[in-house]
Amino acid sequence: MNKFLLILFFVMFVNTNLSSEDNFEKGLRIAKESYESTRGYVDSESDQLMILVDPKGNEVIREISGKTLENDDPNDGDKSIIFFNKPKDVEGTVMLSHTHVNDDDDQWLYLPALGRVKRISSSNKSGSFMGSEIAFEDFSGNDYRKYEWEFIGEEEYDGEICYKLVSIPKYKNSGYTKRIGFTDKLLRPRMIEYFDRKGELLKTLYFEDYQLYNDKIWNADTFRVVNHQNKNKTIYKWINRELNVGINKKDFEKSSLLRLAD
Amino acid sequence: MIYIKILNFALIVNFIFSFNVNALEYKLYGLVQPEFSIFTNGDGKHHQSKNNYSFFTKGNFISYLDERDAKITISAIARYDEKDSERRYIDFQKLKYEQYFENYTFKIGNEIIFWGVNESFNIIDIINQSNLAEDMTGTKKLGQPLLSLAYDNNYGTIDLYLMPYFIERKFPSKNGRPRLALEVDQNSITYESSSKEQKLDFALRYSMVYDDYDIGIAHFHGNNRAPQLNINPSTLKFNPHYTTLSQTSLDIQATKGAWLYKLEALSAKDGNERHLGVAGGFEYTFYGIRDSQSDLGLVIEYSFDDRNSNPFNNDSVAALRWTKNDINSTSLLAGMFIDMRGNSNRFIAEYEQRINNNVKLFIDATFNGSIDSQDFTYAFDEDSVFSIKLARYF
Repeated sequence: MNKFLLILFFVMFVNTNLSSEDNFEKGLRIAKESYESTRGYVDSESDQLMILVDPKGNEVIREISGKTLENDDPNDGDKSIIFFNKPKDVEGTVMLSHTHVNDDDDQWLYLPALGRVKRISSSNKSGSFMGSEIAFEDFSGNDYRKYEWEFIGEEEYDGEICYKLVSIPKYKNSGYTKRIGFTDKLLRPRMIEYFDRKGELLKTLYFEDYQLYNDKIWNADTFRVVNHQNKNKTIYKWINRELNVGINKKDFEKSSLLRLAD
Repeated sequence: MIYIKILNFALIVNFIFSFNVNALEYKLYGLVQPEFSIFTNGDGKHHQSKNNYSFFTKGNFISYLDERDAKITISAIARYDEKDSERRYIDFQKLKYEQYFENYTFKIGNEIIFWGVNESFNIIDIINQSNLAEDMTGTKKLGQPLLSLAYDNNYGTIDLYLMPYFIERKFPSKNGRPRLALEVDQNSITYESSSKEQKLDFALRYSMVYDDYDIGIAHFHGNNRAPQLNINPSTLKFNPHYTTLSQTSLDIQATKGAWLYKLEALSAKDGNERHLGVAGGFEYTFYGIRDSQSDLGLVIEYSFDDRNSNPFNNDSVAALRWTKNDINSTSLLAGMFIDMRGNSNRFIAEYEQRINNNVKLFIDATFNGSIDSQDFTYAFDEDSVFSIKLARYF
């Protein structure tokens, strides 16, 4: 009898413990699992096409290509190189970034007109990327370590039941006060609404064209951003994306910039 | 018969085309740029024309070989100028072959190498010769023939340069505007070194990144890039004299959030005289000013040189850089150069914006305020100018 009570008590205790995961812990767990499902890519290479659309429907094209290197250190960010191809006046420009989770990144820019590598300030993570509606900080927006999370329920989005998550940036120079997003049951972010420093709705990012890479990693090959304030749109497409290609790690150091630059 | 010729031609074209596309990985791009200048002080000190047009072009060809372990780069610039014959030239800025090994890079040919961190006072930058016909501040360079070997590991990079041939400084001709007080006689050049332009110059540089710091230590020995200009009493022209220079330098940039701190220092033996130079300053950027996408950067730099003869012995610059971060990459740089010794000042403004994906507009202005008559820039104190440039990229 005592034994039975003990088991009953134990079961009740464990049950309470499980259901005691509060909405903050649940939000963090989903965000962490979502982030971790995109890890293990080792390195990647891709061409990227960006279409900037103004409220009148005028379109401008940007073309870049990029390489990224996953950081083995779980407490640090990834490294990336971006080669600018279009517009033509920035052709030959190369940007190297060593990203950090909640600190400024290290960034160097090779400027072909000056034949010079400059270390640049990166405390403008909230700044526009090439005149688009995408900010530098949006590219690493799936890194759960950069936000405080809260799960606020399940809702149908685009025909699927999704987790609805609120995330608040930890980074002091973030351009946002809050994000509200939907993550589906395959742990893929589907849509995020961004609120500016005044707390007003700024833009919505839609994650589209999900592809399963190397049989294990889902990547959205299109980011579509609609800015609700200035009415501009940006469509960002990844083309020819390949993961785990075996890029030399040294390519991601400052000393290789001149070699990789045209 | 004619059909066979056409067929042959088609085959050859096809062969060349497929060779280019399949066997040779290459890129070709550049720009053509008409320019127009209006001088605001009439005919000026040297009785020159109020207007000038000029045409600038740049072409780059880059090809990778050997599974990207080798690279050929050709980068040539050319200018045609209406008035100044010294501004009619072609220069191979880069004409080089590079071979990459695991930790080594070998390079041969013409190259542009920049040393330093400052925006304005690039006092330690010494490998390339300045082209003053292009720009009186000396920031525009000429390609330098060299052999170089670089070694890098986790502790930094060591670059060794051997420069077997010297490139003379280019000055504007007497029809150039702005120009120096007297014409430079490029046929009466003398050297301290008996090997003259054949002197083998060498340079060594160690550079590294440590946390927020980018650090470089370098030594150069060779013909000084800046000649002494001595007046020849019989021709009343400047005769350039190139001394032998040994220069040891240090450059550091600290990147702390929106602040950049910069320092360049050198100790050099020029001919028989030793001198010291220090230049540095800071850059601060206000991001997203007034809740817009615009950034406003402030740059302040100061240059000291212990030679009284040096034009930058006690000079400073303060500039504001506004970047709109819009679709057209609109930006405006406005600055003021002050000679703290002679109370000379000069104002510059540089505006640029993209017109479309392939065309960019530049508007530059230089205004000479009060210029001390002892200052070498006194020669062009009546050469305040507006320039419009339209670059078409291909």
